[in-house]
Amino acid sequence: MIVNIFFIGIIIQMAFAIIPLFIKNQKTCSAVSHFGAMAGIIISFSATSAMLLFKPPALVDIYSHAYWGMFNFRFDSLSLFFMILIQLLSIPVLIYSYAYQKPYIATGKSIKLSVSSFILLIASLQLLVVANHAVLFLIFWELMALLSYLNMIFEHEKPEVQKGSFIYFIATHAATFFLFAFFLILHSVTGSYNFSDYHIISDGSALYYTLFVLGFIGFAIKAGFMPFHFWLPRAHPIAPTYLSAYLSGVIIKLGIYGIFRVFEFLNPTDPFLGWAVLVISMFSTIFGVWYALAQRDIKTLLAYSSIENIGIIGIGLGVGLLGLASANQSVIILGFGGALFHTFNHAIFKTQLFIGAGIIYQHTHTRDIERMGGIIHSAKWLALLFLVGSVAISGIPPLNGFVSEFIIYNSFFKTAGNFGNYYPFFMLLMTVGLALAGGLAVAAFTKVNSIMFLGTPREEQKKLFNISKAEYISIGIPALMCVIIGIFPQTVISFIINILQGMPLVASYGRDYSMIARIFPDLMPLTKIFISLFLFAPVIYMLKKFICHGKTRISKAWGCGYQHLTPRMQYTASSYADELNAIPAHILLIKKEATVIEHIFPAKAGFSSSTGDYAEDKIVRPVYERIISFINGVNFLSRNDVRIYIAFILGTIVLYLALAFIWKY
Amino acid sequence: MLTSILIYIFFLASAPLFIGVVNKLKSRLTGRTGPSLFQPYYDLRRLLRKETIYATSASIISRIAPVIGFVSLLFAGMILPIGFYKPLISFDGDIILFAYLFGLARFFQILGAMDIGSSFEGMGAAREATFAVFAEPIYFFTLGSLAFIFGCTSMYEIFHSISLNNPAFLVFISVASISVFFLMITETSRMPVDDPNTHLELTMIHEVMILDNSGLDLFLYQYTSYLKILIYATFTSNFFNPFNVQNHYLGFSIYIMIIFILIVNLVWIETMMGRFKLKSIPQYLLFAASIGILNILVYSFFNK
Repeated sequence: MIVNIFFIGIIIQMAFAIIPLFIKNQKTCSAVSHFGAMAGIIISFSATSAMLLFKPPALVDIYSHAYWGMFNFRFDSLSLFFMILIQLLSIPVLIYSYAYQKPYIATGKSIKLSVSSFILLIASLQLLVVANHAVLFLIFWELMALLSYLNMIFEHEKPEVQKGSFIYFIATHAATFFLFAFFLILHSVTGSYNFSDYHIISDGSALYYTLFVLGFIGFAIKAGFMPFHFWLPRAHPIAPTYLSAYLSGVIIKLGIYGIFRVFEFLNPTDPFLGWAVLVISMFSTIFGVWYALAQRDIKTLLAYSSIENIGIIGIGLGVGLLGLASANQSVIILGFGGALFHTFNHAIFKTQLFIGAGIIYQHTHTRDIERMGGIIHSAKWLALLFLVGSVAISGIPPLNGFVSEFIIYNSFFKTAGNFGNYYPFFMLLMTVGLALAGGLAVAAFTKVNSIMFLGTPREEQKKLFNISKAEYISIGIPALMCVIIGIFPQTVISFIINILQGMPLVASYGRDYSMIARIFPDLMPLTKIFISLFLFAPVIYMLKKFICHGKTRISKAWGCGYQHLTPRMQYTASSYADELNAIPAHILLIKKEATVIEHIFPAKAGFSSSTGDYAEDKIVRPVYERIISFINGVNFLSRNDVRIYIAFILGTIVLYLALAFIWKY
Repeated sequence: MLTSILIYIFFLASAPLFIGVVNKLKSRLTGRTGPSLFQPYYDLRRLLRKETIYATSASIISRIAPVIGFVSLLFAGMILPIGFYKPLISFDGDIILFAYLFGLARFFQILGAMDIGSSFEGMGAAREATFAVFAEPIYFFTLGSLAFIFGCTSMYEIFHSISLNNPAFLVFISVASISVFFLMITETSRMPVDDPNTHLELTMIHEVMILDNSGLDLFLYQYTSYLKILIYATFTSNFFNPFNVQNHYLGFSIYIMIIFILIVNLVWIETMMGRFKLKSIPQYLLFAASIGILNILVYSFFNK
């Protein structure tokens, strides 16, 4: 019953992706498809939340639905978690997408294809997380890749868009290759294509580790773990912003979904795998945020920050794996619970920040934060809403980012306390690493906020800020969620406990609600402190205003004896981050070029700095170039002469026969 | 509970006195009479009377930043055990909240500084952000490692678990207190890292960030910085508190005594040393962090 309602919702979404294509007027087409799709999402959202609310707690499989053969859907708690994530965030992103398309419609650009493919993308993602058949899963996985590619080339006339989207295309297919291999081996081991049949017990064989590595890498490319992240900072800046928001908020989270599935299929019980995941994640966390600090393109910066947060989620996953290795329920729950919570939170604030960046891009027509400045004077509420997201993503109280990091910190303490031995030492290092990343995130996001919004405009603004209601709503919804989850994390925690109850990884150790709830740290004190913070700060502010009343004056800033400051005298983003970036300069590949001022009548001087990406410039590109040069080397064989080809064929046959002869005797 | 509140109010009220004593002793050591012990209070009173001037480029951030900084430190202070008294806020995991409340204060102080759009404040803010990155690792290497050893994550419980009878702890605590003392100097912008007395913008950190603030805003910033140094001093002192002696009066007098010893140390360092070069400050901070690693190694060797 409920499942049918869900599918009706999906069909409505698909219908509103296709039907409006026949409407001539682009404006109506965009409105009809966006709001129709939203209605469809609300219907399927109510169906999924009903499934979660009314599910019998002891059932792992909530609803299975097989149509014929391949069309086999299963609604288990893990897929419901990601389903809710997809549906919840689709709504602000769709509202923003509607606002985003408006100026393009005014210029006469055809937007029908991207609107339709975006809505199809949302629908296919919802089907992806419930697909129970490997082939069906891969079909939706490919649909996801292709439809987001179609959206990404929205401004296909620009060369940078062609290049970036091509890198995305290649990376996502590399991921699919790994997944093909992964599922084929799984099929040959278990003889089934159904996800529900995959339960492999670790036997320590090479095949088992091959499976783990294939699955993990395949999904890690999508999620953006550090050595496999190179497509993220290329694809995000060039994609239209609603898609960047969706990519970072939702699509890379499906990599995390996949990794959870890999764990579920393979039941890893080797602590080595846990440590490997922890090391990769810690690496992504620290260097992700360090790369973010070095960027000056706002969307690239946010993309690197996504890598950092995926790293934090991965840390939770790694701790959970360590728990699995020792069959310790509380560590498993804190690790996986922390990972799920951070997934949820990051989806919210990253969507919000990308929408904010998109709104600014549409008004300033630049993504370079060095050209912005003083936006708070023309768009105060936008700046404050963006600030909410920045505080949340830096993991600072009293917002939601802090709460999930708090749980991950707690998982470290729990692991150390429960396992003893050498664990406390390594867990201490993890704690310090996460704290270091937190400090760097503060540096990165104070940089973004202060350079973009504060001070005075560095360049003359061509257009006045005129932010529509739809844009405010789309950035306001996630901001509100950040605040509410920050103050009342218990709501999301109880949702996550519901999810954990149904996960086979956790459920085999007991699935009693109150038992799982007791493992989570008591968050009530945080709620009390945050409420008093929210009440107390305005009181002090009003008191300050009251005392100040009549005794305030506005005057020029201190100009060190000169008349006044000019906008060009302000600190830039690069100079702000310079001292910190100098530390890993060899990894960030920072290049600085300056013309020195010489002679009495100096010529025009200048300074420029740029950053690279180690994984792309030093690993991916050289390997790629090696392959290309190899292929070019082989190329001499291809001649336009039939006789030579026939000779090749003959030679190959002879070689095969000779080999067969040797093998036989 | 009531005594805890009274103690906390006393703590808040005596924050400027700490700096007063430091300044007085420092002048005495350099052969001057120096200002009165209560000079910081007079300064604050003067600031209260002054008018508040905002720069033309200042936005709402300048107006809310000092308030948020003050409030978050106010709450951070409530987590600290003062003397032997139970802190107002104590729950499992409060050591994490303590570190991150400082993060909140720092976030808004940096934004408040950058709000003016002057490169002086920019310089200070960039330095603050840089050095703060090293501060949190030091904190977790010291208090965090204690938390791992004792298996509890509430500051009150951690400090209660320290027993000075165990020689391993004695080594541990003395090394940790050195780290924390370094942390205190960095975070509160005292001598080898930052000079609170110069007004040369190019070399300062904290002072240059509040260059364009005046009146009530400056009052809040100054009071917050007084509070910050007292919080850090109390934090350091807690490492030496013999918590197993269950006498409140004795505990409180020991607390006052340790604070006084800290002040003497601080003054001695400030008189004997000059400021470091800015470039060598990260090395100094990394040193403090690395002796934190040493800490837990020392402990694990002793524990075997």
